[in-house]
Amino acid sequence: MQGFMTRETLLKWAPVLVLIFLLLVFPIFEMTNAWAKGKEHIYLLDSRFLSIRNLARIAISATPALMVALGVTFIILMGSIDLSMEGTVSVTAVGFAYAFLWLGGTLASWAWLAIPLALLIGAAIGLINGIVHVKLRIPSFMASLAMGFVGTGFALLLTGGDRVRVEDPLFRALLTVRWMNFPIMVYVAAAFLLLMWFIQTRTKLGRNFYAVGGGEELAAASGLNVNRVRILGFMLAGICYGMGGLMAVGKIGIAETVTGANFMFISITAVVVGGTALWGGIGGVLNTLVGVLIVFVINNGMVVIGLPSYIQSAVLGILVIVAVVLSTDRRSVSFVK
Amino acid sequence: MSFIKKHVEQATLNRRNFLLASIAGAGSLALPMSARPAFAADGPTIAWSYRNRTNPYWNAIVSGGGRFVESLGMSADDLVHLLNEGSSEKSLADVKALLSKTGGNLALGIDTNDAPNARPVVEACQAAGGYVTTIWNKTADLHPWDFGDNYVAHISWSDTKPAEEVANILIDAMGGSGGIVGLGGIPSNNPAIERRQGLDNAMAANGNTELLDYQAADWDTQKAAEIMSSYLTRFGDDIKGVFCANDTMAFGAVEALRAEGLAGQVPVVGYDGTAQAAEYIKSGEMQATCYTDPPWAGGVACSLAYHAAIGTFKPSEEPKGHREFYGPALVVSKADVDQFVADHIDGTPEVDWTDFWGPTTPAA
Repeated sequence: MQGFMTRETLLKWAPVLVLIFLLLVFPIFEMTNAWAKGKEHIYLLDSRFLSIRNLARIAISATPALMVALGVTFIILMGSIDLSMEGTVSVTAVGFAYAFLWLGGTLASWAWLAIPLALLIGAAIGLINGIVHVKLRIPSFMASLAMGFVGTGFALLLTGGDRVRVEDPLFRALLTVRWMNFPIMVYVAAAFLLLMWFIQTRTKLGRNFYAVGGGEELAAASGLNVNRVRILGFMLAGICYGMGGLMAVGKIGIAETVTGANFMFISITAVVVGGTALWGGIGGVLNTLVGVLIVFVINNGMVVIGLPSYIQSAVLGILVIVAVVLSTDRRSVSFVK
Repeated sequence: MSFIKKHVEQATLNRRNFLLASIAGAGSLALPMSARPAFAADGPTIAWSYRNRTNPYWNAIVSGGGRFVESLGMSADDLVHLLNEGSSEKSLADVKALLSKTGGNLALGIDTNDAPNARPVVEACQAAGGYVTTIWNKTADLHPWDFGDNYVAHISWSDTKPAEEVANILIDAMGGSGGIVGLGGIPSNNPAIERRQGLDNAMAANGNTELLDYQAADWDTQKAAEIMSSYLTRFGDDIKGVFCANDTMAFGAVEALRAEGLAGQVPVVGYDGTAQAAEYIKSGEMQATCYTDPPWAGGVACSLAYHAAIGTFKPSEEPKGHREFYGPALVVSKADVDQFVADHIDGTPEVDWTDFWGPTTPAA
């Protein structure tokens, strides 16, 4: 009989355990800080870090990155990589902002059309990405990286280097209106996560991602049109990046050429930390949710316990390695390259 | 208003055409080679060499260069743009190419990308007989007066004093006491260091304030928003004021406060005097910023080089304070924001481009 604590169960739940560990460890620092100042402090109960308000702050910070990370999850599941997210997020954000302002500048007008438009732009970039990768037979790494640069350049062409502001109170309600302590954008993100989870687990496309990632030759030999799956995967990722762009604009009210900056590192780190294997076939969107939360809990926690900024990136790097060691099953791969 | 709108639209259009031309393979250096119109008689070619177009600051700098060129009766498109894209080698190579194309008949404004690159650029200009004004980057041992007339001037900004004034406005808005959190630029950047120094000076002069924490947000809006929201967790109501080393980070701080319904309740200050900051000062979401008038600097850099080239004045006869000087710094707060917007955002101030040193302070 298999015991409850098998190695497989542990590995499966390792990212969640890492997240829980982090959520419990930062309050310890808070407590010792309070004691050092001679203040009364009851562990967890007096924690500012574990307060609802701070959890909402972490959720707000994590929302755009979660959208982007969901997209790249599918690509990594297929054993490919997509590095076009920074350019795609910038283009969709800037395209959305211009269309939104041009169509009326408030959600109460035809300007709402800018939202599907942004997702369409994302899908179109993903489509090109996929076609370049599959038809021209360029490795996804290079094809998507190049498309990312094209995207950043195109965003620059649109803006000429300026920032575009979206100030419609209805759109900004994503950030400013709260239901049960959390702003609307968090619920939108949750709904989108649910949709992606549905695609991953309940559709043929979702299962095909695993088939391609688990063994491409086998999938092709079984009659699966691998190229089609790949192109659809990149399109789906593009739509996710479009959502990321929308959420980023919703969060700070500004679209600019650098809106997409930093998303590459954070999203890929989050996917890997969450336990999705870079060689494909293992993991999924719920892993990515946990991974994104791990990264943003670390980021937030380091400031909350007062770590100096020059140490933070080093600590983040080390924690990422530790999280990957704990949360991925590296015994199953014969070699790592 | 409509005038400036038209002006901005035209500038944007020009920029777009320029970028499109770059994409079409007519890169930065190809532009001067394509149909360059006849420059007024044999006047020097006027050029700006700078980093890139993604940054509103550089756009503002070169818009001033364009205005100066227009003041000579030419089109703003006649200003030659050399983009170094963050490469000192490209910066130098482009300048040398343009010098040989124009036979040294060149008036150049340049940021050399990094300080060591200023010397070879200046030496190349002197060797070819061109005239150059540098801004921001140069090493401390490099001085215009060591190069006769060809190295016309160097413009930079000292941010310590203006940042101190901005910090004082913040402290006043806090009622003179309480905790301050800071968002700094990339730690090794000179403006980041000087602006932090300004805050430290203001706080040292006021014993009732406390610096709760000061972290680098790398001039980035999104990073600033994230750090600000973490500050809110850590310090909560102890935060009575927010000092940001530039406006783009201040916008992130304001958005983090907005998410909590606190925008306008906690004083925030920035730096750079952007249009958005001016609006926030009007609406009470920010208290102050500081405008360094980049269009003026971009225009006067060209003007100095141009007028030295055509012999309006002889740089070597000017005092050292006219060869190395600090550009203007205008602190903007609630009291003067309307005037500032009228002068610099909605309107384009009439500039006498031959009044080279009007708003400056000597640096040497």
